Amino acid sequence: MSDDKVDTSKVVNLPLETKTQKKAKEDQLRCVAQGQLKLYDPKANNVQKFIDLLSQRINRSIVSSMVACVHCGMCADSCHYALARPSDPTMTPAYKADQIRRIFKRHMDWTGRLIPWWVEAHSPANDEELNRLKNIVFGTCSQCRRCTLNCPMGVDTATLIRMTRGILTELGIVPEGVFNVSRDQWETGNQMAVKEEDYLETLEWMKEEVQEELGIPEVDIPVDKKDCDFMYTINPREIKFDPRSIANAAKIFHIAGESWTMPKWGWDQTNFGLYSGDDKLGAYVARNLYEAAQDLRAKRIVISECGHGYRSTRWEGYNWADYDQKIPTESVVITLIRYIKEGRIKVDPSLNPEPVTFHDSCNIARSGDLVEEPRWILKRVCSDFREMHPNRTENFCCTGGSGLLSMAEYRPLRLEVARIKAEQLKATGAKIVCTICHNCVDGLNDLIRHYRLEMKVVQVLDLVANALILPGKKHSFRK
Amino acid sequence: MSFLGIVYLFRIIWLFKFTYRKERTYPAGSAKTGVIYSMMNVAMPWAMESVRKKPGFYIQFLIFHIGIAAAISSTFIIPYWPGLFKIKAVVILFQLSIGAALIVGLLRLIRRISNPGVRLISTLDDYASLILMILFFAAGIIAIPNRYEMGEWPLIIFFAITAFLLIYVPFSKIGHYLYYPFTRYFLGKTMGHRGILPRKKSKTTTGADSSQA
Repeated sequence: MSDDKVDTSKVVNLPLETKTQKKAKEDQLRCVAQGQLKLYDPKANNVQKFIDLLSQRINRSIVSSMVACVHCGMCADSCHYALARPSDPTMTPAYKADQIRRIFKRHMDWTGRLIPWWVEAHSPANDEELNRLKNIVFGTCSQCRRCTLNCPMGVDTATLIRMTRGILTELGIVPEGVFNVSRDQWETGNQMAVKEEDYLETLEWMKEEVQEELGIPEVDIPVDKKDCDFMYTINPREIKFDPRSIANAAKIFHIAGESWTMPKWGWDQTNFGLYSGDDKLGAYVARNLYEAAQDLRAKRIVISECGHGYRSTRWEGYNWADYDQKIPTESVVITLIRYIKEGRIKVDPSLNPEPVTFHDSCNIARSGDLVEEPRWILKRVCSDFREMHPNRTENFCCTGGSGLLSMAEYRPLRLEVARIKAEQLKATGAKIVCTICHNCVDGLNDLIRHYRLEMKVVQVLDLVANALILPGKKHSFRK
Repeated sequence: MSFLGIVYLFRIIWLFKFTYRKERTYPAGSAKTGVIYSMMNVAMPWAMESVRKKPGFYIQFLIFHIGIAAAISSTFIIPYWPGLFKIKAVVILFQLSIGAALIVGLLRLIRRISNPGVRLISTLDDYASLILMILFFAAGIIAIPNRYEMGEWPLIIFFAITAFLLIYVPFSKIGHYLYYPFTRYFLGKTMGHRGILPRKKSKTTTGADSSQA
C-alpha cells in the first residue's frame, strides 16, 4: 500500500482553471448563451452573489443541518478521507461542512450576526476564498453520506456539500472537469456528448453481436417503440466504453420474452446535476427521460446499473423537475429478480465459480433503496459469494463518487484515501468485485491498479449473462 | 423560563419560514417508520457504526445527559419540593449523577482541547458551553443538600448559573436539543420514504415484489 501523503494545503489552494469556460464562450455555445451554464466573471461581486444564492437555495432541512452540529467530531470515524489521513484534521466532515456553515452563521443566524467571533461566523472576503471553498467541497468529499448516517444529530453533511457545489457552479467557480461534463450534458442531453448516430450505430452493432451469439436473428434492440412494458435507459459510458453491457441486457431481455425499447432521446439516466449541485441541469436531464417514457407510453422505466443514475432518475430527478412520478421506475436489478423468480430466465451459479464480493454503491445503499436485491441475485448466479466488511449502508465509497473521476486535479488525494477501500477489497480474498454502478467500476478499477490488487470489476448483468442457461441447452452461451 | 420559551418559539417560526420541497416519487418504504426510527436513534447505540465502535462515548453521552436532567430537576426541586432533598439517599443519588456528568464534562473538555480534529472545529461557544455545564454541575453538587443554614452562597451561585443558562442556551450550541427532532425528522422522512431506514435486514423478499404504486 502506498504511503505517499498529499499536501492538503496544495489541494485547497489549487487555482481556478477557466480555459474551457473561455472556449465555451468563444464557441458561443447554446447553453452559455441561454444562461443555463454559468461562466466565471472575475469582475462580478461573486461573494455577494454567493450570499444571495445561499439565502435563496437554503431550505428547512438544510437549515436544520446547519444549526444542529454540536462539533462532537464523531463523523471523522466514518469518513474515508479522515480515516485515511488521521493526522489531518481538515478531513473531518464537520470541518468541511463548517466552511459553509460559518457563512450561513454570519449572514443568517442570530448569534453569528451579532457576535461572529464567538461562533467563528465568517463571510468570504474575495473570490480566492470562494475558490478555496470549491476545492474543499469538490476535492475532499465524495458525498457518500456515510457521515450523515453516522451523525448522532442527523446532520446531512453531504447535502450541505451538494448545495455549496451548486452555488459555486452558478458562479462558474468549478473544477474544469465538472464544467466540461455539465456543458456536454446541457448541449447534447448526455454527459459524454454521444451523438445520436453513434448511439444508434452502437445499438445496431450490439444487436448484431447478440444475434450472432445466440444464432437468433429475431433478437432486437428496439428504439422508440411505443407501448412497451418498459423503456430501458443507460449510462453513456455503456455506449462509449462498455457496449457489452447493452448486449448483455438485450440478450437477457430477449430470453425473458420482454417487450422493451430504448428511446432515441432522453436515454441518459446519469445526471451531472447531482454532482455539480445544479438542480436546473438535474431537472433538464431528468425531464428528458420522463417525457421520453411518457411519449413512448412505456409502462415503466428501467435503469441500467448506475449508482448516481439510479439515485437521480428514481429519486432526485422527479423532485428537481417538479414532475410527479407517474410510472414505476426501477433498477435493472429488480427486473432481473423478477425474471429469475418468474422462471423467465434460468441461471447456473457454477458458471461463475470464482470468489465474488459485492461493493455497495453509496448512491444506491445510502441514498437509494437497493441493498439486499443485488445480493439476492449474486447468491443465485455465483457459487462463491462472500461479503465485504463493512457492507450495505456502512460500505465505504469507491472514492470515485460525486464526479471525482472527472476532476483530475484531485486524483492524488482520492487515490491516497482509497487505501481504506483497497484494504476492504483485499480482505475479502475475492478475485471479482461486483457492483451495480458504472462510476464505481471506474473508481474501483483505478484504485485496484494503484494498489496493485489482483481483482476484476464486473456488474450484476455481466454475471447473470455469464450464468444464463439457454432454453434447451445445458450451459450458457458465453464467449 | 418564559424568555427561553419565547426565544424557542421565535426560533421554530424562523425555521418554518424556510421552504420544504414536496416529495414527488413513489415510496419504497414508509416515511413515518423512517421518522420514528430516526428519532429513536438516540436509544439505539447499535444502529450507528460510529457509536458501535466507541461504546464508551455513548456511555459518556448517557451519563452527561442524565446529569443534566438531574441538575435541571434540582432547580425545580429546591424551591418547590425542598422536602425531597431532606432524604439523604436522594441527595446522594443526585450528587452521584451530577458528579459523574461533571467528570464526563471534564473528559469532553480535555478531548476538545487535545484531539486535533475536534479542536479545529471547536469555537468559543463550544468551549464556553461545556465549561458552563461543568460549572453548573459543580454548583449543583454543592447546592443540592439545600442546607441554606450553612450558607446561602451555594444556592445563589447555582441559581445564578441557572438564570444565565436560561438566557444563553437558545443562542448557543447547548440549544442543540431544540434542533434534534427537526434534523432527525427530515433525515428519517427522506430515508424512510426511500426504504433506507430502518436499515434492511437480510430478507427473502425484494423490491421486485413491490409495484411502487
